[in-house]
Amino acid sequence: MLSERERERYKRQIPLFGDEGQERLKSAHIFIAGAGGLGSPAAIYLAVAGVGTITIVDMDTVEQSNLNRQVLHADRDIGKKKTVSAIAKLQDYNPDITVNAIDTTISEENIHDLVGRVDGIVDAMDNYPVRYLLNRVALEKKVPFFHGAIRGFYGQATTIIPGQTPCLACIFKKAPPKETSPVIGATAGVIGTVQATEVVKYLVGQGDLLAGRLFIWDGLCAKAEEITIVQDPSCPACGSPTPTTLYKEKS
Amino acid sequence: MSVKVRFFARFRELLGTEIIAEPANGSSIALLVDGIAQKNREGYNAIFDEHGTFREFVIVMQNGKRIETADAGTVIVADGDEIAIFPPVAGG
Repeated sequence: MLSERERERYKRQIPLFGDEGQERLKSAHIFIAGAGGLGSPAAIYLAVAGVGTITIVDMDTVEQSNLNRQVLHADRDIGKKKTVSAIAKLQDYNPDITVNAIDTTISEENIHDLVGRVDGIVDAMDNYPVRYLLNRVALEKKVPFFHGAIRGFYGQATTIIPGQTPCLACIFKKAPPKETSPVIGATAGVIGTVQATEVVKYLVGQGDLLAGRLFIWDGLCAKAEEITIVQDPSCPACGSPTPTTLYKEKS
Repeated sequence: MSVKVRFFARFRELLGTEIIAEPANGSSIALLVDGIAQKNREGYNAIFDEHGTFREFVIVMQNGKRIETADAGTVIVADGDEIAIFPPVAGG
């Protein structure tokens, strides 16, 4: 049930999806991998929308060079762990939700325990090896994976629904090279809020998700475009397993 | 024969948004894009490796259908085709 206080807080969005939609947001648990450029806007907008439980993971410390884009962190946070800064900001924005902030590096060893039971995973990472790990966990747990990535004035996003859409490894068979890429905060804002919008749509069950579509933002041309993407039957992460042994029933 | 090549994101900055090319009959996607990319060394190097083959992470589409970068040298373009070349980004 929504409290009076919650009803007032979400007064301007409840007309969009009703009490039922707001209750769905409240009972949801979303995992956000990264409290950086993408993780900041995604977490802030999911927190203020009333997503009941947010788990956000990051192992970094706030540096001055983060502040052009990582809006969860402020000048006074320089030197603090990003988790400390993130939890404080998110609870400031919305004290009615639960925020777990975990200070660790996501790895093959800890990812299963870290992710636990969630309703969706937001990709706010800056590298493909961890993105592929998150993709696999999302496939195993059959929960949606909200991908986003940015560089400069450009960004991309898609929503992966296990069993229904191509997975991250179908779309990006080989990772682009890792680099410290230049970026403006507004690009992270565009893509992070597209990801947050997708999460809200998924949770309340409204609209058309970016399923099977790669959204491409070109901030320099101020153009939003999309590429249709299809499942790869031979995908190592989500392709149908080929039976290696055939059993014949004894008659 | 007329073929449209669309570049996205950083490739667009280096090579232009939409190029209408008139390749010879029997040209492959790789040959067509190679010819266009030659005009800008940085653009060329962003798309092709030192052997002149598509970098593996580049997304190549022919009329909305994904073409494996390894096959781009043998897939032939036809009149009216639209080829899209997209560089995935990695930052977060």
